[in-house]
Amino acid sequence: MAEQQVNRPRNPEDDWKIWTVCHPGIWLMPILFVVLLIALAVHNTVLNSPAYNFLAG
Amino acid sequence: MTGLPPDQAKEFHEQFKITYTTFVGIAALAHLLVLAWKPWF
Repeated sequence: MAEQQVNRPRNPEDDWKIWTVCHPGIWLMPILFVVLLIALAVHNTVLNSPAYNFLAG
Repeated sequence: MTGLPPDQAKEFHEQFKITYTTFVGIAALAHLLVLAWKPWF
């Protein structure tokens, strides 16, 4: 079968098309949980550096 | 089609942009506060 020619997307105007592939009803919560995991990892790293432990007195 | 139809995808993306911009704004503010407190570079 001949290689199908697909137009290259123009971003950001074509950004919305990601949701025609990744259904937010399925993937929005996993995406948000990954963002939370990253935030927790970054905060953990910062808290473990003595100079920037904003919780230590 | 594994995702949303085009019209719903555009509608969802409008809200996604608002929420994401708010998130980046709050993160930028937090970084400015830390920068004022203790510059890390």
